Amino acid sequence: MACACLVVYCVTEEQDLVKELVALSITEQIKKIRELPRSFEEKKHISVKSAKQTLELWHSTMKEIGGKFGSSVLNYFVLLKWLLMFNIFSFLINFGFITIPLLIYDHSPNTPANMTFRGLELLTGAGYFNYTIMYYGSYSNETVDGLVNYDMKLAYFFTISVYMVFCGIVLIFSMASSFKKNYAMADPSSNSAWQLLHSWDFSITNENAVNHHLKSNILRCVISVIFVILLLLQESLAEKAHIEQKTLPEKLQQYGIYLGSWLLSTGLAVACGVSIFYLCKYEDKTLLVPFVVSLMNMVVPLLFSLFNKFEHYSSQSKQIYALLFRNVLLRISILGVLCYHWMNVVPLKFTCWEPMVGQALYRLVIVDFIFLMLGSFFGEFLSNVIGTKIQPRLGVPEFDVARNILEIIYAQTLAWIGIYFSPLLPVIQILKFFILFFIKKVSLTQNCQPPRRSGRAAQMKTIIIFLLFFPFFMGALSIVAYTSWSLTPSEGCGPFRGLNRTFGVIEGWIDDVDKNFPGSKWAVWIYDNVIKSELFFFLITLIILVIIYIFWQLAEGRKELIILLREQIVNVDVKPDLKKKRKAGYEIYYPLLLEHSKRIENGILHLSLFKKNIGRV
Amino acid sequence: MGNKQTIFTDEQLDAYQDCTFFTRKEILRLHSRYHELAPHLVPMDYTNEPDCKLPLALIVDMPELKENPFRNRIVESFSEDGMGNLSFNEFVDMFSVLSEMAPRELKAIYAFKIYDFNVDNYLCKEDLEKTLNRLTKEELTPEEVELVCEKTIEEADLDGDNKLSYADFENMISRAPDFLSTFHIRI
Repeated sequence: MACACLVVYCVTEEQDLVKELVALSITEQIKKIRELPRSFEEKKHISVKSAKQTLELWHSTMKEIGGKFGSSVLNYFVLLKWLLMFNIFSFLINFGFITIPLLIYDHSPNTPANMTFRGLELLTGAGYFNYTIMYYGSYSNETVDGLVNYDMKLAYFFTISVYMVFCGIVLIFSMASSFKKNYAMADPSSNSAWQLLHSWDFSITNENAVNHHLKSNILRCVISVIFVILLLLQESLAEKAHIEQKTLPEKLQQYGIYLGSWLLSTGLAVACGVSIFYLCKYEDKTLLVPFVVSLMNMVVPLLFSLFNKFEHYSSQSKQIYALLFRNVLLRISILGVLCYHWMNVVPLKFTCWEPMVGQALYRLVIVDFIFLMLGSFFGEFLSNVIGTKIQPRLGVPEFDVARNILEIIYAQTLAWIGIYFSPLLPVIQILKFFILFFIKKVSLTQNCQPPRRSGRAAQMKTIIIFLLFFPFFMGALSIVAYTSWSLTPSEGCGPFRGLNRTFGVIEGWIDDVDKNFPGSKWAVWIYDNVIKSELFFFLITLIILVIIYIFWQLAEGRKELIILLREQIVNVDVKPDLKKKRKAGYEIYYPLLLEHSKRIENGILHLSLFKKNIGRV
Repeated sequence: MGNKQTIFTDEQLDAYQDCTFFTRKEILRLHSRYHELAPHLVPMDYTNEPDCKLPLALIVDMPELKENPFRNRIVESFSEDGMGNLSFNEFVDMFSVLSEMAPRELKAIYAFKIYDFNVDNYLCKEDLEKTLNRLTKEELTPEEVELVCEKTIEEADLDGDNKLSYADFENMISRAPDFLSTFHIRI
């Protein structure tokens, strides 16, 4: 009976565990299973059960990659899948709310005569495609009278805004939760300077070494009773190890190199931007501009890595951040120049200018895709061939996670900018990311080796999301906002034709609401006096700043509380006379331990000294 | 990554990779070490999961464990029958927990099991005395051993029952992180 109860208890405990695992992400699942204090058979059983119950896309592939290559490489594939989900959502709402009503209303594209589909349109996006539902221009500004009065221009505006707001909210939430997990809860004493003291392992077979090892264990046995001394010791040793003495000329040289490479990098980024600016006049006729942009995005980061090799930063992470910042600067400057051209020059050149911008973005996306595939070929396949057959000293290449992640973030930014001008661009993006996943997976397994340094994957994830959000998403959002707020929509085509600015659609709607629903005067009043007035936004900003300040002070106060509580745990008053004994112990033991630790390092430990002091505490 | 080995199926290697801290190469290396211990007992083909256990005496003879004063207890705590006979899965389990990638919490759980000589889920004074004797290889006098053990229990026992439960042990360990760096065997 008891056995049966025990079995039932075990089974339900296991079911709870499996349920818990299924709710976690892949990296966390793998980590949690490995850390379970159970036998191998039980773990295998649990992992199989949880794998069966997880219904995610590509779950088994990602587990395989995570297991073989580690969690920093897995971060790339997780991000790729995440962005793919964004695009699928975007496609569904765009197709559902914008394209289907248009197809119902008027399903024949109004192409002029003798414009037939030639294969070239897939690459250039112009020609036949210009008149299809692919671009802004074909969308109508009429209201469909069906079951419901469906105002298509309102639908267009709201669908795009809802999607951007949704992306923003998801990014903010994942950034906040990532920060909370990786920075706020991190215990500063856990990644301490214990690496300084040797890792005494049992792989010792030499007799003398064993004796020395055993003797040091005696000391450690007692040390475990007097812990604070060790912490003090650790800090002083760590401080001594990290002081670097540098002479003045060396410092000047170092700063000179930093300054030089920063100037060079910034100069390169600006030069790329300027050259794109001059090439922009060829943009609408040829594929020259996308080609040059992709080429620059491929070649210039290699130059940046070269500069990085000559600089010597004090820490690994500073080096990575510097490289990342330069790459981001390059891409932002190129995109900035292109957006300037699209916002200021193109509207004046064409009557129907939004589809032109849409086409330009389409071409950028396609050429970027081609270059990504080529990059995979040159970067990974050829490196593998060179590394294994031609020049074996180089070895198998590692998967460059940072560069690949930046590439997909850039690709997604193009899609975010383009969604206003070309509602079905997410389709291309979905295909692109889908194919890219498989290409990268095959390239990874065939050509690359797991990274040697297991980088800090969790902090990297925080930085990735932060990067994704700030320069790239906010940039795309501001471009779309600027377009809809300040620029005049084209007269002859598109859902906003005839209006002074896109936002005028809302004003028109408010007027309609006023006419049709007489009871909603309050909504109109809110719009006129609250949303349109500047004072309201000023007050809101002020209130939000005050709230942020209060929360910040709260967080600081909590940090101090944590430090205080930790100190209290140290001094926990279990037995009052013990505290006195401990204090005496510190005064006697601390200087002794400094001595002892030096001797451990040199391999000499006098047992007699230890024996003499046992009675003192 | 493409080399044809016939010892394990791909699913088995994937399961090992998911549930332990080892990569495929390391699992294969562990298997060859396990096989070396008793070439006539351990089959080369593990695809149909043979039921093969090696006795305690063979395992504690490994060079990695030979000089370890706790070798018997280590092997016993990882064996299912408590007598130290390890199957290959238990063998892998043992080295996985003792590897450098296992987190401190996991090592603490097994360290407690290893030091608990009478397997009653508490570290009483006798357990600690045996531990200290093995550590110091009988170089301290019995009075000194007793004194150290008393001091340790006094210091670490938080609930006043004169023996250390797992919570007391973990508390002690968390304040002296170096204690667990002894729980690292490289294979």
